[in-house]
Amino acid sequence: MIFSRTYKAALGLFRSSLQIRALVYTVALSGTALVILGGVLSVSIGNGLFNTRTERALVESERAKFTVSRLFNGMSPYNTWALDQTIQNVVPELESIGVSQTRLVAFLHSNKQPNPYELSNPQSAGLDLSLITDSFRNKVRSQPGLTSQTVQIKKAGESVPAILIGQPITLPGGHHYELYLVYDMISEQQNLAFVQRTLVLGGLVTLMIIGFFSFLVTSWLVKPVQEAAITSELIASGDLGRRLPVKGTDVVAVLATSFNHMADSLQEKIKDLNNISTMQQRFVSDVSHELRTPLTTMRLSADILYAKRDDFGNDEKRSIEIMHGQMNRFDKLLADLLEISRYDASNVQREFELQDLNGVVGTALASIQQFADSKGVYLDADVPSGAVKCEMDAIRIGRILNNLLTNAIEHSEGRPVKIRVAQNDSAVAVSVTDKGIGMNESEISQVFNRFWRADPSRKRTTGGTGLGLAISFEDATLHNGLLEVTAEPGVGSCFRLTLPKDSTITEFESPLPLAVERA
Amino acid sequence: MSKLLIVEDDDALREQLEIGLRTHGFDVASVATGTDAIPAFEKLKPDLILLDLMLPGKNGIEICTEIRKTSGVPIIILTARTDDQDMIRGLEAGADDYVTKPYPIEVLVSRIKARLRPLTRVIENPIVKIGSVELDTLSHEVRKGEKKIALTPLEFKLLLTLASHPNEVYTREMLLEQVWEYTYKADTRLVNVHIQRLRSKIEDDQEDPKLVLTVRGWGYKAGPE
Repeated sequence: MIFSRTYKAALGLFRSSLQIRALVYTVALSGTALVILGGVLSVSIGNGLFNTRTERALVESERAKFTVSRLFNGMSPYNTWALDQTIQNVVPELESIGVSQTRLVAFLHSNKQPNPYELSNPQSAGLDLSLITDSFRNKVRSQPGLTSQTVQIKKAGESVPAILIGQPITLPGGHHYELYLVYDMISEQQNLAFVQRTLVLGGLVTLMIIGFFSFLVTSWLVKPVQEAAITSELIASGDLGRRLPVKGTDVVAVLATSFNHMADSLQEKIKDLNNISTMQQRFVSDVSHELRTPLTTMRLSADILYAKRDDFGNDEKRSIEIMHGQMNRFDKLLADLLEISRYDASNVQREFELQDLNGVVGTALASIQQFADSKGVYLDADVPSGAVKCEMDAIRIGRILNNLLTNAIEHSEGRPVKIRVAQNDSAVAVSVTDKGIGMNESEISQVFNRFWRADPSRKRTTGGTGLGLAISFEDATLHNGLLEVTAEPGVGSCFRLTLPKDSTITEFESPLPLAVERA
Repeated sequence: MSKLLIVEDDDALREQLEIGLRTHGFDVASVATGTDAIPAFEKLKPDLILLDLMLPGKNGIEICTEIRKTSGVPIIILTARTDDQDMIRGLEAGADDYVTKPYPIEVLVSRIKARLRPLTRVIENPIVKIGSVELDTLSHEVRKGEKKIALTPLEFKLLLTLASHPNEVYTREMLLEQVWEYTYKADTRLVNVHIQRLRSKIEDDQEDPKLVLTVRGWGYKAGPE
């Protein structure tokens, strides 16, 4: 379990970090190369040691032959006792000469002819005669010079490679003997083991150095890539002025240069778009402003006519009244346009004060009462008794409420409209619920859009500007609050405004439900 | 008959304003540029000035500042720029009130009348004190110790309203209603700006007011002294 988790974590790191991947690959490939190199070196050193030892053994064997000849030199072939004594002297004699400290000797009577005088077959203690196989003896007998073979001997319970060298020797009196010498290769074996250990250790150290250097090199290579990643992230998050440093003329510098070109053109494009957008916003604002002066003049003119409307004939009087009404509507539309253009230009200042939401709701209800009465709509307010304090711009919140109430009264088809106020630790809320015509899903999704009207064919009774809810939404957002809506066709709609109690609160839950109510 | 001076560069609007205000019983004179405003003010000595902010020659804010050096004559700014900054700067320069275009004539007339209405206070003691500041409700003179302080009629009314009921808190809305005579919602910054102007004239240290105090979350009150 733990292992699999560690494995997964390691795999994740391996996949996510280019640098670690490069490091692992470099170390693995260099490791393989080092193993091959070490193997070749080890084999070739082993061979060298073996060959040197073999040659020396051959030279010593050659010399041993002369030693043996000298021992038997001038001996009478008939004095078999003396002959046998000398034969027995061969083994100690040969064991003690030469540089090889460990040399085993066997001096064996050849079976080419019978051994009538029972001459000895002396041999070193500790030499296992089974090493000297019959086939090897036959080979030795069949040729006059040295014959060699590699064998394994037991030494202190361990199997050690050794060289077995045999040669035929004819003693005075025509006795055929064979001289066998066994040279063990313990010191060569030890040397080879030492060399191998050194190779392994050296290999490991080399591998660590390679790992360290490849880490340095990959860091150096990956660094500009990481920088590019961080810079793109910063640019994406809006810091358009960020650029990569360009050093030298290598591929990284080319990357940095192209990256910076891309960022430049991106910045240029965004600036253009911003300019266009700013120009449009300013145009809307300028148009609205410019319209104000002639509108004021016309309004003053209309006011004078309106004050004297009874002096005119019926048609003229009605025309004056219509003109007067439309001036008001024009006025409201301009005010809303200006307000929304101010929001678009982010030119709205937050001027919040601690206020009682109950009071703001009360004021809004009082100001809309006459309109509700004219529609025969009962406003049913469910407001908590204590103060509902919240940091807000009371004018904007009053404007939102006025909008919500106007809409609810207009669409409630004469049924009561419910107004609720509530609070919890972090937020205050007010909801306006009507039991009127309601809205479908697509209407709900568009309700905060500018100049959107639920039903184009519907009669416009209040002459709203079509910007009311769009501005309300912006007003709520300015408070870091939420203006939400739910509705069901034929059942009604519910708008809920939730405001955090102060600007330090970022997470809050509305103390009121967002739900329609059935009649 | 009250004499009004209109400073407005738009010909049609100026003419229509003249007609409209004349039908409401005012004696109206007008100039079309900022440069003509000060000479006309000095020559005509109007009871009230209606001042457009965007003017050729000299802008409304400059005119306001200049007039306030010598006179407390009520000034109402007319602005198409609902850009708050312009309106606030106009108020800071000394204008008493503002009207945003487009406005119905009734609104303008009621604003004018509110500013022209004389202070009608009948109290036993004509001297009202707030700290070391004395308000003489008969001569409309204000003294701080021996020093005479020049307040505009509006500032006088504002200070008198607060000082008549020491330690009673006035919300901005109450002050708008009682001092400016607004019957509907108006921008409460009107109050903030004038409180600042008032403090700059009567307080020893404007940053640490002792006479006109802010009650956070509510409004203002006259100091405890």
